[in-house]
Amino acid sequence: MSIKSFSRARAIHVMLVYTGGCNGCDIEIVNSILSPRFDAEQYKVFLTWNPREADVLVVTGPVTHLNRKPLEAIYEAIPDPKLVVAAGSCALMGGVYKNIHGDIPSEEIEGPVENIIPVAAKVPGCAVRPQDVLAGVVSLLPTLLDAD
Amino acid sequence: MEEKVPRSNIIETEIPMGTVHPAALEPYRVRLFVEDEIVQEAEITIGVNHRGIERIMEGLPVEKANSLTEKICGICSNSHIWNSCRTAEIGLDIEIPERATYIRVIMGELERLHSHFLYLAHGCETVAHETFSMRVFYLREIVMELLAMIGGNRVQYGCSVLGGVRPRCDLDEAKLQRLKEDMDKIEEGLTGFAERFLADSILISRITGVGVLPAKQAIKLAVTGPSLRATGVARDLRTNMFEYDDFDFNIVTQPDGDVKSNLLMRALESFESIKIIRQAIANIPEGKVINRDWEMFDTDIIESYIEVPRGTLYHSYALESGRVRHCIIRTPSMANIGAMQYACIGDHITDAQLSIVQCDPCFTCTDRAIEIIRR
Amino acid sequence: MFENTAIISILALIITVVVCFILSTLLPGIERKYVHARIQQRIGPPVTSPGIMAPIKFLFKENIEPSSPVPGLYKALPIICFLVVLCMLIALTPYAFAIPALSSLVAIVGLLKVEEICYVLMGSLSKSIMSVRMPFPDRVKGAAHLNTTRSFIEDISAKRSLRMITYGSFPLYLALFAPVTAAKSIFLQDIVAYQQANGPFLFTVAGGIAAIVFFIGYMIVLNEYPFSIIKAKCDVIEGPYMEYASKYRSVVFITRGFLMFTLGVLFSVLFIGVPATLFSPTIILNIVVVLVFVLMMGIFSAFTPVFTNRQLLPSILGATLLGILAIVLGLL
Repeated sequence: MSIKSFSRARAIHVMLVYTGGCNGCDIEIVNSILSPRFDAEQYKVFLTWNPREADVLVVTGPVTHLNRKPLEAIYEAIPDPKLVVAAGSCALMGGVYKNIHGDIPSEEIEGPVENIIPVAAKVPGCAVRPQDVLAGVVSLLPTLLDAD
Repeated sequence: MEEKVPRSNIIETEIPMGTVHPAALEPYRVRLFVEDEIVQEAEITIGVNHRGIERIMEGLPVEKANSLTEKICGICSNSHIWNSCRTAEIGLDIEIPERATYIRVIMGELERLHSHFLYLAHGCETVAHETFSMRVFYLREIVMELLAMIGGNRVQYGCSVLGGVRPRCDLDEAKLQRLKEDMDKIEEGLTGFAERFLADSILISRITGVGVLPAKQAIKLAVTGPSLRATGVARDLRTNMFEYDDFDFNIVTQPDGDVKSNLLMRALESFESIKIIRQAIANIPEGKVINRDWEMFDTDIIESYIEVPRGTLYHSYALESGRVRHCIIRTPSMANIGAMQYACIGDHITDAQLSIVQCDPCFTCTDRAIEIIRR
Repeated sequence: MFENTAIISILALIITVVVCFILSTLLPGIERKYVHARIQQRIGPPVTSPGIMAPIKFLFKENIEPSSPVPGLYKALPIICFLVVLCMLIALTPYAFAIPALSSLVAIVGLLKVEEICYVLMGSLSKSIMSVRMPFPDRVKGAAHLNTTRSFIEDISAKRSLRMITYGSFPLYLALFAPVTAAKSIFLQDIVAYQQANGPFLFTVAGGIAAIVFFIGYMIVLNEYPFSIIKAKCDVIEGPYMEYASKYRSVVFITRGFLMFTLGVLFSVLFIGVPATLFSPTIILNIVVVLVFVLMMGIFSAFTPVFTNRQLLPSILGATLLGILAIVLGLL
């Protein structure tokens, strides 16, 4: 194992971007990292709010119209290698909001997240469970370690 | 203190924050207009997470629409589904079994506990007191597990259905026993936290007098819920709700309307919630949990108000051949936005986010197109 | 003969600095895992993660161009900070006592000032995505105050660091000059010699008071929690460091641990009279002092919220008065 992958495996910085979900996923994710019960830091996962520091971007919510550009801008600001975790059913496929206008293309919901930025891991659930989020972030490790 | 006036009208610069910001748990944009780091004016822009739930609800069968209201908010999901069911039950004259009412009250109070704990944790996090925030999150985890035990999911439990509660949410002896034991645990933990919180003179001096919202101004801005009670106005809709007739509880108020009053008020109100849950466990009647014996008919517009953890929630719709028509939902944060903008004035920028957090924002609830024009 | 001793001193200096540097990378992890996490009743990250592995990881990230009006200067600033701390540590070793210009308190104060000015420059040069540049329709019909100037959150941070230069660092400087009153010299060599003759300055009344002031100043210089207004998470997120990525961020991370170590050594030189050298058992004492400072800071920061100007002014004023008291007592 090279020193690069060794160090990457021991410090993963996660940034959370909420794009208009119902708050349930956001709080479960923040909870999973802040609460001493789950304590993501023991798995070497750190929460950050600075895109320049992040390795993994966790996105929740169906990406509403006003959130599209901020999401893209934040994604651009993260230095490579970067990976995106889409958490929650809204982020995966738009959730209950996807078909808001039936067959007419919706102007409000731009999501799912895949339409906007490449997604590396998908964590299902409405709302996601903290354990699943941790598992999702950790499941990205092989990809993250092998990236240049 | 009657009314706050900005120190001067000079606006030196504008600092926008958001839509993604560590102090905010949800996307919104706030523009702070400051002079020498003192906020003179604040403008909160919502609508960032407008998804248009009413648009989806329109024309859906009422049962489906009810379960959809849960997706409005991940914090007070139970309140939305409760009030939505309640709206239809009022319109259709459905009699709810007593046991179901009790279970709904238990769920409502558990949700109040988890919402208030989240508020306390988030408030402590915003003043950068990580240790207290983590301690509250630890307590909150007990409530979350109880909610998961009753409803089957940690966030959206889908407890209420038309005519009562889902049979899965019925409470048997073992569940009641666990509920009872955990209430003791929560009370013990919360007492310890409240004592430590009050004994921490650094923290108390840090949050006293920050984000003041005078009572007069609060009434003028039509603030609801705990944010109003923290200014000293004893107004709680639970006293008018028939569900709470059997329960004995106090309305907690705090005098000052600053961050300290708000945080303390939530902590003290949590004790009242524990009290209500204990009464409910002791007196829960036997019987069915759901009444399926009702008929659908067309109704006029039905309205229902309930007290949810963050204030007064309003649901209204009409029923037409079993489908929802003309749906309007008004959430507490809608009224509290004015309070948030007002509370920031005159505080340091570091306190501005705290003053916004102080009013318990839930913009995911609030983001919907509503325009009520009274003529 | 003279050349030989010079070469040996330089070698000893290099070895000391390298060992100190390696030890210093452990400090953020010790603070995070053994103090914060223990107080917060959780397991916490591995000791090596925040201080060693995170900087190494950042080395291998894409070197993204920071969004800044002067990217070159902005990127140079953390390296300047690092060199400043390095110079400070060199000045505190006995090998540097031969160079009076470096091993005097004036030089140390000057170096600390450079560090503080770097924060101001970093803050004013960083233009991160998180505030004004966020693509959001702010200035639209109906919005308030369409014609105001707009500031980035880092601009507030720069303004705050400027304010901290004017009054925030007084306590530390006063505490630094308290031993001078006893030793009657600003050269570290004389201060050390005085204490080796007369016992540590720490155990006098003036020294005890000055040590408390030094600790407060230490936390202010390190921007740790109660005094972390220039990088308060609840408004300016990370303040001056917002735009650093890859190598530069790893330098920022390393500098923090290194500064913790150097300030601890500074205390042991000025108040106990033990300069840092690896070739004497007293290095243990240096390391113990450093650890005690880190543990005390961790405990203090875990139980305090971030201070705003309203609390900062009185607390810094109080510390300054204490510092003046220590100096007056020392003079008497």
